[in-house]
Amino acid sequence: MEVLANLATGFGHLFTPVNFLVLWVGLVLGMLVAVLPGLTLVMGVVLALPFTYKMGVSPALILLTAMYVSGTYGGAITAILFRIPGEPMDVPLLWDGYEMTRRGEAALALGWSLVAALFGGLVSAVVMVLLSKPVAGLALAFSTPEFFAIVFFGLASVVTLSGSSLVNSLISLCLGLLIATVGVDSIYGAERFTFGEPFLQDGIEFLLVMVGAYGIGEVLTRMSTGFAGEAGEAGGGAARFRTAFPTLAQMLGMKATFARGTATGIVVGVVPGAGATVSAFVAYGLESQYGKNRDKLGKGSAEGIVAAKSAATASVGGALVPLLAMGIPGSGATAIILAAFLLHGIQPGPQVFVSSPDLVYTVFATVFLGVVGMCILGFFAIRPLCKVLEAPEAIVSAFVVVFCFVGAFAARNNLSDLYVISAFGVLGYLFERFDFPIAPLVLGTILGPLAETNFMTTMVSFDNDWTIFFRRPLSGGILFLAFAGLAWPLVRATLKRVRAAREAHARAA
Amino acid sequence: MPKTLRLVLPHGLMLLASVFLYWAASRIEADTGGGHRIGPDAWPKAIIVFMGLLCAWEIAKRLFLNARADLHGVVGGLAREAEGEAGAPAFQLGKLLAGIALVFGYVIAVPYLGFFVGTAAFLAVFPWFGGLRRPVLSTVCGVIGSLALVVMFMRVAYISLPLGEGPFEQLSIWLLAAIGVS
Repeated sequence: MEVLANLATGFGHLFTPVNFLVLWVGLVLGMLVAVLPGLTLVMGVVLALPFTYKMGVSPALILLTAMYVSGTYGGAITAILFRIPGEPMDVPLLWDGYEMTRRGEAALALGWSLVAALFGGLVSAVVMVLLSKPVAGLALAFSTPEFFAIVFFGLASVVTLSGSSLVNSLISLCLGLLIATVGVDSIYGAERFTFGEPFLQDGIEFLLVMVGAYGIGEVLTRMSTGFAGEAGEAGGGAARFRTAFPTLAQMLGMKATFARGTATGIVVGVVPGAGATVSAFVAYGLESQYGKNRDKLGKGSAEGIVAAKSAATASVGGALVPLLAMGIPGSGATAIILAAFLLHGIQPGPQVFVSSPDLVYTVFATVFLGVVGMCILGFFAIRPLCKVLEAPEAIVSAFVVVFCFVGAFAARNNLSDLYVISAFGVLGYLFERFDFPIAPLVLGTILGPLAETNFMTTMVSFDNDWTIFFRRPLSGGILFLAFAGLAWPLVRATLKRVRAAREAHARAA
Repeated sequence: MPKTLRLVLPHGLMLLASVFLYWAASRIEADTGGGHRIGPDAWPKAIIVFMGLLCAWEIAKRLFLNARADLHGVVGGLAREAEGEAGAPAFQLGKLLAGIALVFGYVIAVPYLGFFVGTAAFLAVFPWFGGLRRPVLSTVCGVIGSLALVVMFMRVAYISLPLGEGPFEQLSIWLLAAIGVS
């Protein structure tokens, strides 16, 4: 009952004129960044951050959360209609959504996508509300070894779930953790890696790493391979710009796919560092292995759309759980929402449920209403959203660079920060070019201080006895899971090799 | 550049960076209060050593073992399938260098030119180097876009941005007065 009362208060906050307007602005912006060439969801949320500096904390969080929610949908439209994935998470939609379009079933493909997003989003929102407080309560009982284990698990999962080389992911993570150590350390007050530069004494803000590596780095990557031209085939026939919903019987026939996709999205979303893209790929992979119509997947099957889309949207609710309950962001976008919290002097975590329950439940209400609003926009705004595709990518990218600079500059009014983000932009480009993933770098920078503080405090409290991390049941269990996750790619590769050798042996015999 | 060198260059550079950073970490000074308490250098040193070992392993693997036998995260297979389908676009070094030069040029120029002029120039020039050969469109987008950004950031979001120096500062002040920012 208390949860429902708090949620009602959250909705009450959301329905004030300013907040309601901000919600819709966020939803529209989220859709736009997901559709616009050269912009990704994370970049879009990064670019919106400077506008929240002077806002109150509620509208700031509503804006960013609404963008996060609707940003998971916009790219589906262009993926299905034009074979242009607005976001990496929409790539699985090319395999089935665009195939349906080629068969003349574009409207139905959009309908399945919309229904999947609505279902996944609303179910994950319910789970988020039910799960957050108990998780926060559990986190209150944690001591420093458990917190270190949780952060370590988050960092390990970023590496495990990455699509890049495991070694490169680990190197990227190490670099992120090292960047987080720059400045005056919080326990001894010692200067580390400042090289006599005064501006490095305050450390390197993770926001600068994020804006530089994601924003500027992405622009440089796209520039080095040539920006897309104008319009493309986005002019398409007017008949394509509509949505046709599947029947209830059709939807019930696919209930297992809805359930699998949504559950995958929530679970993967909760894992720090995973996010919508990983959720969509994992759900699609599961569907291709366990789905009723797995043989038809990749050939214009609605199951492929439902699995990927429900998982991508469901990951939003999942990713907000560790952020709100423990202060650990579950994805790139939630890392920026964390930044918005911190900029307004609020540390998300178990205490925030006691100190600012209104704020937490306003975020929850934003997810509920955001999912519904996203679907309304997705239904009615297909035509204008597709027109956005005609914007030349070179011009959009120039604006992205300017937004990145303003975002970085406005946080501290420090011109040195502009050089820092430019340098991280070049680093982000080099990472992209040499197949080093950026997510571990960014997550390492964000979670590094938390990991170090909890590690050092534990070592000081327990007389440098590192075995304490493994001797306490909870931290030991979490660390076991983390190491098992890290070892899994190695085990999988070994099993594959053994199986291949056995098959080759059998063929030879 | 020889193929072998190209193969190990990124990890070789990271290994060199690890050595340098370990040296820098060794110079961290702090009073740990005696005893066996670990100091502020312990955490970064542990990470640097791990990073160096990873780089050394990757270099050895690329030089002496089959480089293709690479371990990937759990979504690696599907992601690479998608990439393979899209095909790798051609790399253009000139455009990349121009992009980097423009980004740093913008950072250097804005304190002197002010946000409005610097941004208008950047927005007008960047698309040209990005391959959009429509100077009129770029210039119009640059001027109108920069003006819109000034209004958005300085009038609506109240963000204080560089005004520039000399005549550019005068221009910025005049512009701000015109849009109602005192």
